[in-house]
Amino acid sequence: MKIRLLCFAAMKDYFPPQEELLVKSGSTIAELRSSLEIRNPSAARLLKVSRFAVNQEIVEDGYFLSEGQSVAVLPPSSGG
Amino acid sequence: MESVDLFEHITFSPLVPTERFPNLPEIGGFVFFAGIVRNINEGRRVNHLEYEAFPEMADRMIRSILSDAGKKWDLLHADCRHRLGKLEISEIAVIVTTGSLHREEAYSANRYIIDRVKHEVPIWKREFFEDGTSEWSQGCTHEQHRH
Repeated sequence: MKIRLLCFAAMKDYFPPQEELLVKSGSTIAELRSSLEIRNPSAARLLKVSRFAVNQEIVEDGYFLSEGQSVAVLPPSSGG
Repeated sequence: MESVDLFEHITFSPLVPTERFPNLPEIGGFVFFAGIVRNINEGRRVNHLEYEAFPEMADRMIRSILSDAGKKWDLLHADCRHRLGKLEISEIAVIVTTGSLHREEAYSANRYIIDRVKHEVPIWKREFFEDGTSEWSQGCTHEQHRH
């Protein structure tokens, strides 16, 4: 199934800011995180401390992805 | 200057200190906090900063944090605005204002709001140093510590 992946800030050093991504049906956030680590091992450290949001809501590692969702990878915040 | 205020709590426009208090006669305490770009970070001279966000989500999260503060304290006013884009030294990056009957609620809520905004809201800062290098701030991994 297809999802849209959004990367921000330091994560853009490793992945495009926006892309359509094919993932296995029923994939979890944890599986998406692992697949990104495999795709670019140098991003592993940052991926471990990043949060994921689906349709702008923070989700946990066990969350099951659905077709067409917009998934954002959010490195640790540094606003303020 | 063109208006780039796409969201209530997120703006590319310069932030200015509050000149007037909210027009609420019940307010007895008003707290104004500004987060300001400083010229040094962890011993390195900073030339300027750039802030990036996931703006729609950041705006929604700030609104939700303000609403949570309103549930914890008896507030008459609470607002937060964060700036994005290139900021020079001494410019304001974020403003939090709170108002209540008495100072205690306004102080506590203000601190609560800025702490959560810094740690949770998807906003990131890139530091540009005087030596010509730049890097994304490491930020704070959530639940790790308080600043």
